[in-house]
Amino acid sequence: MTKFVKTTVLGAVTALALGSASTAYAAEEVNAAFFLEWATPNQISKVDKAYDKAMGVKVNWTDFKTGVAMTEAMLSGDIDISYSQGLAPFVTAIQQGAPLKMIGIAVVYEANDCFVKNGSGIDSSNASELEGKTVAVPLNTMADFAFRKYMAALKVDVSKMKIVDQVPADGAKSLADGAVDMACIFGGASSKAAAEVGTPIMNKQQKVDAGIGSFDVISTTEKFATENPELLKSFLEVTNDANLAWKATPEQLAKVSKDAGMDLPTTTKQMADFIFPTNKEQLEKYFGENGIAAAAASSLGVVFSNASDGKSIAKTIDGSFLK
Amino acid sequence: MLEWLSDNRAYVAAVVIIMLVAMFIGSIVIGRKQTALTAKDEVFGDPERTKGGWYWAVCGVSTLLLIWFYFSWGVGRAYFPQAANEMCQVAKLEEVISPIKAALPLGSRYYKSTLLVGRNDVQLTTLRNDFPANAFSAAEQAELKDLIVQIRSLIANSSNPTLLNQKTKDELVNLSGQIRALGDELRAGSRGLTPTAEALAQPKWGISLTEIPLLPTTSKGVLFDNVSAKAQDLTSFFRKVRNHVPVNERIIADVRERIKVLKATNEAGSFDEKTDVARKAYVKGVERIFRRLDDGNIFPAASLDGLNAAIADLDAAKDEARGSLRFVEAVFFPGQGVVKSRTQCTEQGSARWLPKPTDVVATFIQLANPDLENGGGYKGTTLLWWKWLPIADVVGFFFPDWVADVWPGEYARHSADGTITPNFKDKLLSFAQGEVYLGSIPMFEGHIWDSLFRVLVALGLGILLGVPLGLFMGVSKFFKSFFDPLIELYRPVPPLAWAPLILTIFGITDDGKIFLLFMVAFAIMVISARTGASGTQLTKIRASHSLGATDRQIMWNVIMPNAMPEILTGIRIAIGVCWGTLVAAEILAGTTGIGFIENIARTVSNYELIWVTILIMGILGLIFDLIMRWVIDRTIPWRGKG
Repeated sequence: MTKFVKTTVLGAVTALALGSASTAYAAEEVNAAFFLEWATPNQISKVDKAYDKAMGVKVNWTDFKTGVAMTEAMLSGDIDISYSQGLAPFVTAIQQGAPLKMIGIAVVYEANDCFVKNGSGIDSSNASELEGKTVAVPLNTMADFAFRKYMAALKVDVSKMKIVDQVPADGAKSLADGAVDMACIFGGASSKAAAEVGTPIMNKQQKVDAGIGSFDVISTTEKFATENPELLKSFLEVTNDANLAWKATPEQLAKVSKDAGMDLPTTTKQMADFIFPTNKEQLEKYFGENGIAAAAASSLGVVFSNASDGKSIAKTIDGSFLK
Repeated sequence: MLEWLSDNRAYVAAVVIIMLVAMFIGSIVIGRKQTALTAKDEVFGDPERTKGGWYWAVCGVSTLLLIWFYFSWGVGRAYFPQAANEMCQVAKLEEVISPIKAALPLGSRYYKSTLLVGRNDVQLTTLRNDFPANAFSAAEQAELKDLIVQIRSLIANSSNPTLLNQKTKDELVNLSGQIRALGDELRAGSRGLTPTAEALAQPKWGISLTEIPLLPTTSKGVLFDNVSAKAQDLTSFFRKVRNHVPVNERIIADVRERIKVLKATNEAGSFDEKTDVARKAYVKGVERIFRRLDDGNIFPAASLDGLNAAIADLDAAKDEARGSLRFVEAVFFPGQGVVKSRTQCTEQGSARWLPKPTDVVATFIQLANPDLENGGGYKGTTLLWWKWLPIADVVGFFFPDWVADVWPGEYARHSADGTITPNFKDKLLSFAQGEVYLGSIPMFEGHIWDSLFRVLVALGLGILLGVPLGLFMGVSKFFKSFFDPLIELYRPVPPLAWAPLILTIFGITDDGKIFLLFMVAFAIMVISARTGASGTQLTKIRASHSLGATDRQIMWNVIMPNAMPEILTGIRIAIGVCWGTLVAAEILAGTTGIGFIENIARTVSNYELIWVTILIMGILGLIFDLIMRWVIDRTIPWRGKG
């Protein structure tokens, strides 16, 4: 009995000591989230530990599969900064009342494509024929948002289509099998597979004309932003330096592709379609009065939830750390 | 009626909770009495002992519901419907002063200045130690080392209380005074404060998309709201306070000039690439730390003591003003309380992911509403409803199109006057395609039915094919040896391992999902029927054989009844496992089904919907199990009594 008591007390004391040690240490470490297979110039700074040097704290990077998982990790306090979280998971999190904040734009890229099966004879000129057809869409993602934007631009009634929820890899497969007539896809490998058997419903120029685009954001928790504004400033500064230094040289690409976990050609192709706005550009175009960030977030909010008040999302967008 | 109940769900919960407590206590009293009555007659281990005992079931259910009510803050909302609104106002004040607090030991253990001094000191030391010796000339090295010394002196001067600027000193004292004034306002109490009409018109807690109403609805809330509005100005003021030491101004200008010279040399100089990179990186590192110090963010520790004390005083005043709310919060709202984010107040802790029972019921009712036009159902499909199914559709499903194709003759063509006269072959085709009217039958539809349909069809096929095969494997050498390797090889494969293949083989229709569930049910049924058949006592078979029974009679009248307990237990297990695989099966090309709803709800963290689906699956599983228990009791009453 005494031995049991002793062990319990010892264990409890050790646990307490460890617990308090880790909290005391927490202020000196920053946990950041990122995506694998999503190549960005700041991965060079990540590998070279430029973030650690500039911020003066240890930066731990954890890779995530989805933006929703990033939100959950931020809410539980395990992650302080999410780099390149999709706009869709960010906005849905805000709609659920999550205390998060958008502090920067990570990547601007072309909106995800919806591929129409080759041979179906449907393109943007007769898109209303899609009514009554089956479409594979990964629901509540940026691809879903793009899908709804395309259909609105082409005046197609979404409620008359049969929408199947499929992850991009499955959607591409179903498109090839002919099980669906259109598949909305994100991600390099799946897009490539879908392009083999299908054609995007809108081409690059049409997307630009219709004002359909996507970007990933840099988000953080309200708590971290209040307590460590100078760390966030340094973080964005280092990211900006990395974006400015990006020349897509072979050495740079090799470094990024290794860290992103992709081969060199895929990395090169993916990054060719990406735009990495500098802090100055972000302040001017995205975070200013009536900036793109607030407009896109609120329009996305309305697409996913009719009850949402678009304006309230703008309150969580804060460009002050970019200065 | 439903509307009224929904709007007043807090009161409904209050009544339900009282009933639950009464049931909990009542069932324990009855249970103890009953136990005392029979305690002496029972033998330990006797299965008859477990018969009956409904009161303990009542006790268990009410305990579960009470725990659910408590941890989801359902109890708190039922009896303190204004508490969350008041907690939200307190959270507002906390949110507003958090930037000041974060710079003080009260909020983060150390003064922000202490952390900055420590961090910059470490970085300066690293910078000095990592000097790239070959990249700079001797003169430049001396210059850089001196720069680092100068930057260090910036830190030292900022930390020196005797050098503190009188203006900064006044600003900090003034700020402390104003914060104390806020504390006094809180202590003065909320007498005479009334909520605005707009605030009172807000939807109640948990009714609308905004979980907790934001504007204060009680006088205590108004007090906190007022104070936090004033504190907002103080925080903005605090953000602007800077410690600009006059001595530093000169050093800053000097250092800035010297860094500029170094950068100019870097730009102009024709160094080789490696040196160039090293030089630029180093100068950039020096400049980065310098830029962090030139804006006067470091204060002497002593100068902030007054502020720290003022905030501590405000905290104390806040606790006093909260009064009874403190205890209510501690007892009825487990977790981290209410947190104010930029757009709304949210429940934190268990209430964040555990919705209140009444809210779950409300969500369920909304989901179950068959009126799709008015927000019922989910993603355009009802939860469980019925529709008229044309019989022709069913016939068309079983009658293949090729019958019409092989029928002699040609399909009709449009004639010269633009009309079409269908011949028999055309009529056959439209029959095969279900395009004729043969009357309608009522049929279920909706998410629950789709899920049920998949499970039942898979289970039915599993029983139809699995039981005969299992029985034959139990009695025949050929069947046993032929099928054993096949079955044993596929049986241990987890059902989800088939998932990647399903999509390519079956496409996106229901058959893929049914196949996945069938694979689960089939293996279980084969194994249980086989065990049942081979477990028949040899004496029984020999006895019936010597009495002249044929093979068929032995199979039907001896082996089958003997295998029944195993088969029925197998069905019971198969239902459970099929049900368990359903969510995963419905991830594949989800269009309808309970698992589909849960998968979509997960992507938007809609916890109420997630819990509704969990409960629906739990309850349907329970109903299945009860049916199976009843069947077992009816068909094999001798089980367990051998």
